[in-house]
Amino acid sequence: MSTIAVDWTRCDAHGLCSRLLPEEITLDEWGFPLVARRDLDRSLVRAARQAAAACPALALRLTQSS
Amino acid sequence: MTSMLETPTTPVSAIGAPRLLAGVVDHGRVDHARHLALHGPPALRRRGWLVTASHEVGLLGRGGAAFPVSTKLAAMPTGTRCSVLLNGSEGEPASRKDRTLMTYAPHLVIDGALLVADALETDDVTIAVHDPVAHDSLVRACAERTDAGHVRVVRTRDGFVGGEVRAVVRGVDGGRAVPEGRRVLPHVRGVGGRPTFASNVETFAQLAVLSGLGVTRYAAVGPATEPGTSLVTLIGDTLRPGVVEVPNGTHLPLLLPPSPAPVLIGGYHGTWRPTADGLVVERASLRAAGAPLGAGVIARPYAGTCVVDEVVRVARWLASESAGQCGPCWFGLPAVADDLAALAGGAGPDRAASAHRRLDLVRGRGACSHPDGSAMFVGSALEVLAAELSVHQHHGRCGLPPSNVLPLPVGAR
Repeated sequence: MSTIAVDWTRCDAHGLCSRLLPEEITLDEWGFPLVARRDLDRSLVRAARQAAAACPALALRLTQSS
Repeated sequence: MTSMLETPTTPVSAIGAPRLLAGVVDHGRVDHARHLALHGPPALRRRGWLVTASHEVGLLGRGGAAFPVSTKLAAMPTGTRCSVLLNGSEGEPASRKDRTLMTYAPHLVIDGALLVADALETDDVTIAVHDPVAHDSLVRACAERTDAGHVRVVRTRDGFVGGEVRAVVRGVDGGRAVPEGRRVLPHVRGVGGRPTFASNVETFAQLAVLSGLGVTRYAAVGPATEPGTSLVTLIGDTLRPGVVEVPNGTHLPLLLPPSPAPVLIGGYHGTWRPTADGLVVERASLRAAGAPLGAGVIARPYAGTCVVDEVVRVARWLASESAGQCGPCWFGLPAVADDLAALAGGAGPDRAASAHRRLDLVRGRGACSHPDGSAMFVGSALEVLAAELSVHQHHGRCGLPPSNVLPLPVGAR
């Protein structure tokens, strides 16, 4: 299973992740991502990878959890 | 000023026979001759002995996170590429126990450092200290003995977040003392990039006592689950304000004579409770009760005073201490402090709802425990001080004199 991890020291609230993966990521009142805490659905892994790759601050990571 | 060193400025006392503070209560600073008379030379042990012994007595780190020392020691490689780091930065403004220990019993801290370094077969030892008096006492102590020439004592300059161990590692290495974004623990990569056994200074003093007494005698005091003693800082309406060495298992009401006032347990990353009834100084049970001991600060305002404005001040200070690395902490803590200030000034329940919603946005969303700890302080205050806040809501103020017990660093607003 995969989960999405945010490096909070890198995140600058660009908000692209929420546009690319609205199923999993919403934004708080300051524009920082709120990630759903469940394991990522298989069908969303591809979109999650794209969201991580698109982050201008390289703040998003996909981690494999067993 | 040498004279300042000789007798404690913070009142120091013990319940039962002091171990870490042996000699301090009666004589002030324990110099090397007195230290040798009290404790003898450091009892050097192999790493395996230390791992087993600290496991058997359930020794937990004394900086606040209460991580098992044996696990940390067992995870370390050995050899000259290892480092030993003693965290004496004591960023918690309400805590005095670490600077008191380093100032008045410096040799016990150094013994612990030498003991761990020897067990890990390295001589790379650093003590990171913020307080200038404690720093000078340690430097002087190293000069008083012949086996500590290689011990590095360095001043840290940073605040609350700068005292988090990964931040101390970066500060010691000459960088800005803020935690890294990725959670790499010091035993993997610490001082100078080397595997580092890092812990609070009291942990090292406890290891020195454990090594000197052996498991059986060390465990002769306190409950079987966590034998030994602990240093706590008592503030405000408590039995003996100041630094107190207490046997583990001490009932908190013994330290807090009856009063209707609420209690703060664990300091500014700690928890407000309506009462200390039923709680004992035992880290696992306090954690289970939802009031972790943290760095050992226990504070209580005097009955008939109002602590609300002080809680607002501490909340503002916590917000100002954000390192500014992580958005939810940097934006969230000031917003939460504003909500709290509005409530203190008479705002209604919608502002309380806003505070709770924002606390949820702050928790778990940072590189270190600052947002979580701060949310614990403010969240528990909202709950425990609900009656006081409701008086403020209906009358704007409560009319009681301010409590004046929660210290902040000089210069803080």
